[in-house]
Amino acid sequence: MKLYEFEGKTIFREMNIPVPKGKVISSLDEAKEAAAEAVYPVVVKSQVLRGGRGKAGGIKFAENEDELGRVVNELMGMVISGEKIEKLLIEEKLKISREFYMGITLDPKSSLPLLIISAQGGMDIEHVAKEYPHQLFKMYLDPLKKPRQYEMIDLLLKTGVKGKVLVQMSRVLHNLTECYFKFNAMTTEINPLVICEDDTVIAADSKVEIDDLALFRIKAVSNFERKEELLDPLESEAKVAGVSYVGMGKGNIGLISGGAGLGMASMDMISVHGGVSANFLDLGGGATTEKTAQALKIVLKTPGVKGVLLNLFGGINNCEHMAKGITSVLDEVKPNQAIVVKMRGHSQDEGWAILESRNIPLIKHGTTEEAVVLLMREMEKEGGM
Amino acid sequence: MAVLVQPNTQVIIQGATGKQGMYHAQKMLEYNVNLVAGVTPGKGGQDVCGVPVFDTVRDVKKHFHVDASMILVPPAGVLAGAVEAIENEIPLIVIITEFVPIHDSLIIKSMADQKRIRVIGPNTIGIISPGKGKVGIMPGNIYSEGNVGIISRSGTLTHEVSSNLTYKGKGQSTCVCIGGDPVKGTDFVDVLKLFREDDQTETVIMVGEIGGAGEELAAKYVMENGYPKKIVAFIAGQTAPEGKMMGHAGAIVTQGFGTAESKIRSLSEVGITVVRTLDELLKVV
Repeated sequence: MKLYEFEGKTIFREMNIPVPKGKVISSLDEAKEAAAEAVYPVVVKSQVLRGGRGKAGGIKFAENEDELGRVVNELMGMVISGEKIEKLLIEEKLKISREFYMGITLDPKSSLPLLIISAQGGMDIEHVAKEYPHQLFKMYLDPLKKPRQYEMIDLLLKTGVKGKVLVQMSRVLHNLTECYFKFNAMTTEINPLVICEDDTVIAADSKVEIDDLALFRIKAVSNFERKEELLDPLESEAKVAGVSYVGMGKGNIGLISGGAGLGMASMDMISVHGGVSANFLDLGGGATTEKTAQALKIVLKTPGVKGVLLNLFGGINNCEHMAKGITSVLDEVKPNQAIVVKMRGHSQDEGWAILESRNIPLIKHGTTEEAVVLLMREMEKEGGM
Repeated sequence: MAVLVQPNTQVIIQGATGKQGMYHAQKMLEYNVNLVAGVTPGKGGQDVCGVPVFDTVRDVKKHFHVDASMILVPPAGVLAGAVEAIENEIPLIVIITEFVPIHDSLIIKSMADQKRIRVIGPNTIGIISPGKGKVGIMPGNIYSEGNVGIISRSGTLTHEVSSNLTYKGKGQSTCVCIGGDPVKGTDFVDVLKLFREDDQTETVIMVGEIGGAGEELAAKYVMENGYPKKIVAFIAGQTAPEGKMMGHAGAIVTQGFGTAESKIRSLSEVGITVVRTLDELLKVV
């Protein structure tokens, strides 16, 4: 779950990471109230989840109440890369002396959290990595041991900071690390971390993403409101059914697989044979009769689907239950699309018997390629190609 | 003699009294696995398919020698279960559970690395040495004994590749599903090292997929150390769209990182045969 800047800053405040004084508004009335109270000049920042808002004109400044009113009117409701602005963060404008970068994210090579700092803040960190690689300073974090203050100071010294600023930055670094672990974050990032003209250190921005799988135990996040994501209707149906469905937007072949890897390999095979996958659907574990039936109904409803390949395994699932799910859809929906099933594993004999009794084209010992070829032949018969 | 799982391997299931636990305890017994005990707090004294259940791993160890534990508990309980197994020094821990929080996996991996304990998973179907035993949830009948070692991120592709080989008369030494998560206890390189020393394994199949860096690290390992056996690799997700998570938490291409092309290129460059389809795999092994 990605957090909005103001939500990330709420967490930062809780973790004693200094952030600018500010207020979030979500209506013009709230804006008037905030305008009367504000100490000018202020910065007005659109609250969106996607990056690049600065370049898209989503950040503006105001010197007085009138200007603020104008800016709020301009920004509120504006759309930045498909995202409508519904909240603005009005903050004191900092007197910036220098901008740093500080971030923690999971490094895929070491499978460890990687802390990165740089004196080249305020720009895209990928850009810094490309243009100034010698100005990125990195440290792996041990999930079992908090980094020591001296280690943080060692790292910060490399950026050339000294004295009062060094001490403040080591505190921010320590607290950002605590924040990463406490909130089960995928990413915690401050860009820019600002050194003001009076040498105070303030997190001018926040980028925080929490692991979706840990949300159940991260209380602070449960207060953050989220609108229902605008999923396409089949994606929402799949979500309710508890299966992983990705619509491809076009294609003639629907796909249900007993696992993600087999699903991807099946898509690749469909493509090799000139077909186009209309969707990816991973049935996952716990595929009951009902879940299998719902998955098949969703795929049959996917626009453009002329044939469906079910490439299943009775591993954590059971072939008999899945076969019953498939035949129940034949009775209920009576689809005119071609259906081919490849299935083996636990209770395969029982499952096969059910499918054979309904004359459903079945691959028992053959390969995924044979299943794809058989489906294409069946689709030709149905005149569906 | 295969790797990780042998005929005399003594196994426990943590979470044996749950629906999945009971089902797979039965299936393991049918495969002649030495399943010595189950562990479920609060259910000590009961039994599952005739196998005694204890409240803690420590209690089991008072009665039995334990070589491996299979963890089949809900995601929120995995950390506690794995820590218990690690601190009781079970040398091989297989975490079947999917949807384990990443920070829990980070802790489990670090603890296990410190104690030199091997963790497989999370989000795996486990390990099977066909004809000898399994610590996993795979249907034994589609696997057969032979000389091909398999390492796969995906559970269903472990089934698919092994069963296809079985039907073509080619057996497997050991099949290791390393799991579909971004943080996992054991990666391709670790299993390549095991197969390297195993006299039963003649050929190794690597089944990778988009996302992560495990395949690239395997290529680097082979480049730096050479490899005395034939390796054949397949990467799933060559046609998957960028930015979409394809079922597994680890299977996603973001900002051009973790693409099938990058993996295929890295592996090909060090002389590993990379096939484009699953069927081609059967032809070259």
